[in-house]
Amino acid sequence: MLPEAIEVLVMIAAVFAMALAFSPPAPRRHLLVKGGTGLLGTAAIAAVPTVDLAVLVLLGLAVLDAAAGGTRSFAIRLRLPALGVALLALALAFSRFAGPDTLERFAAVGLAAGLAAAVGVVPYLHPFDPEEGASSSPIVWIAFIGPVLATVLVWRAHGLLSADAGSAFGAMLIGLGLINMAWGSLGAWVTDNTVTAWRYSFVADWGLVLCGFGLTIADGQRAALLVVFTIVLGRLPLYLGSRQALREKTDTGRPVNLIVGAVLAGAAPSAGFAARVLLLRGATQLYWPLALVLLLGMLLWLPGSLRLGRSLGRPHGRQAIGIVIVVAINILAGLYPLPLFSAANL
Amino acid sequence: MIEGLAGFVAWLGAALIALGDGRRGLGVGVAVSTIGIAVLVLQGSGPVDAAILAVGGAVATIPGLRSGEGWGLMPAGSTPRLILCIGGGLLALWIAASITTGGGVALRFAVITVAGLSGARILSSDGSPVLLTGVGALALAASAAAGLGGASPGPWPYLVAAVIAGGSAWLRPRTASAA
Repeated sequence: MLPEAIEVLVMIAAVFAMALAFSPPAPRRHLLVKGGTGLLGTAAIAAVPTVDLAVLVLLGLAVLDAAAGGTRSFAIRLRLPALGVALLALALAFSRFAGPDTLERFAAVGLAAGLAAAVGVVPYLHPFDPEEGASSSPIVWIAFIGPVLATVLVWRAHGLLSADAGSAFGAMLIGLGLINMAWGSLGAWVTDNTVTAWRYSFVADWGLVLCGFGLTIADGQRAALLVVFTIVLGRLPLYLGSRQALREKTDTGRPVNLIVGAVLAGAAPSAGFAARVLLLRGATQLYWPLALVLLLGMLLWLPGSLRLGRSLGRPHGRQAIGIVIVVAINILAGLYPLPLFSAANL
Repeated sequence: MIEGLAGFVAWLGAALIALGDGRRGLGVGVAVSTIGIAVLVLQGSGPVDAAILAVGGAVATIPGLRSGEGWGLMPAGSTPRLILCIGGGLLALWIAASITTGGGVALRFAVITVAGLSGARILSSDGSPVLLTGVGALALAASAAAGLGGASPGPWPYLVAAVIAGGSAWLRPRTASAA
C-alpha cells in the first residue's frame, strides 16, 4: 500500500468517526451503513496492488453509490463516475500499447480526464441537488472517495507513463487545477444557494490539490497532501456541521464564524496557509509566472470563505465541540506539518 | 484466425448493447461480448481467468433473457448509435492494427471498442437495465485491459470484473426520492 494513500485513508476514517460521534442520533445508523461501505470501498482502492484493480473497485463503488438512492436519478448518479472508469480503463490500455510516443500522451489525457470525472471537478462537475443529504450527494466523491483515488492514481501514474508523458500529465493537472481554482472560488462567492457555495468551495480546494500533484517536485506533493488534509479534516466536517444551520437558515457573524471563515480561506496559521506557501514555493522553483497566477487565484478564496463561515450559524452543544476540534486540528497541522509529511515519506 | 474472430465478436456484443433498448437484446449483447473477451483472455492469460470471466458474463446474461422483454434492437432514432458503432469500430481497428505495434491486435481492438461503446452507452441512456448492462461490459473490458501488458495479471481483475458484471445485472436500484 502507498504510504500517502494510507495517510489519506486514516484521515477519512477519522472524519467518518467524527461524523458518527457528532451527528444527531436519528441518521446515525444510515450514516454508519452508507459511510462504512464507502470507507471499505475506499480502503480497497488504496489496498489493491494494481491500478487496474483500483479502477474496477471504483466502478463497483459507483454502482453501489448510485443504487443506494437519493434525490437524483440512478442514471445521473452513475453517469460521471462510470465515465471516469471508462476513461481510466482506456488510459491504462493506451499506456501499455507499443508504438509512437503520442499514445502515452493519450494515456496521460485519459488519466487526467478520468480522475476529474471520477472526483467530480471541472469539466465533469457531478449534478448537485442542494436538498440532497450529504451522504448521498456528490460530496461523497469530492471529499471522501476522491482524495484516496487521486493519491493512488497520481502515484501509480509515475510507473505507467514515461518521463515525457509524465510531464504532460503534470501540465494537464496544473491546467485543470487553475481552472478549478477560478471556477470553484468564484462559484462559492457568487452563487445564490449557500449549500451550492459549499460544493464550489470543495472544487476550488481541488484546484489546489491538482496543481500540487502537477508540480512534480517535493513541495508540490507536500502542498497537495496538506490541501487534501484540509478538505478531509477541515472543509468536510465543517460542511457537515453547517447542514443544521443551513436548514434553519441561520446566518451569523460572530467571532467563531470569522475564525472558521479564516480557516476555510487558508489564513495563517491553519494548514491551508502552509499548503499555499508550499505550493507557491514549488511553483516559483519551476516557473515563477505560475506562482503569480496561483497567488491571484488564492485571493479569490476570501469572499466565499467568509460567507461559508457565517453559514455555520451559532454553534452550540456537540456542534460547537466538533467545530473547535476541527479548527484546532487544522491550526496544529499548519504549525507543525512535518509528521504528516514524514508519514507519507515526503 | 480465432483471435481476430474473437475481437470481432467482442465488438459485435458491444454494438448490440449500444444499439439495443430491450432487455433481451442487452442480455445477448453481454453474452456475445463476454464470449469474445473470454476467448482473448484464454489465449493470453489461461483457462482459469477466461472461465472466471465467462461465468461472470453468463450470470449477467440471465436476467435479460428471463425478463420476457423484447430485443429492442435499433429502435427509431438509433441511427447516431449505429454510426458510433461502425465509426468507433473502424477507429479502434486503425489504432489496434496500424498505429500500435506488436502482438495482441485483437485484444487491443476488443478493449478499445467494448470500453468505448459501453462508456458511450452509459452516457446516453437513462434506463437502469441499459446502464447496468453497460457497467457489466465496461468491467469486462477494464479487466481485459489488465492483460495488455504481456504478463498475466493473475485472476483478481477478472474475478472483480465478473462480480461487478454478474452482480450489477441483478441489481434493482432505488428510485429517486424527494428530499
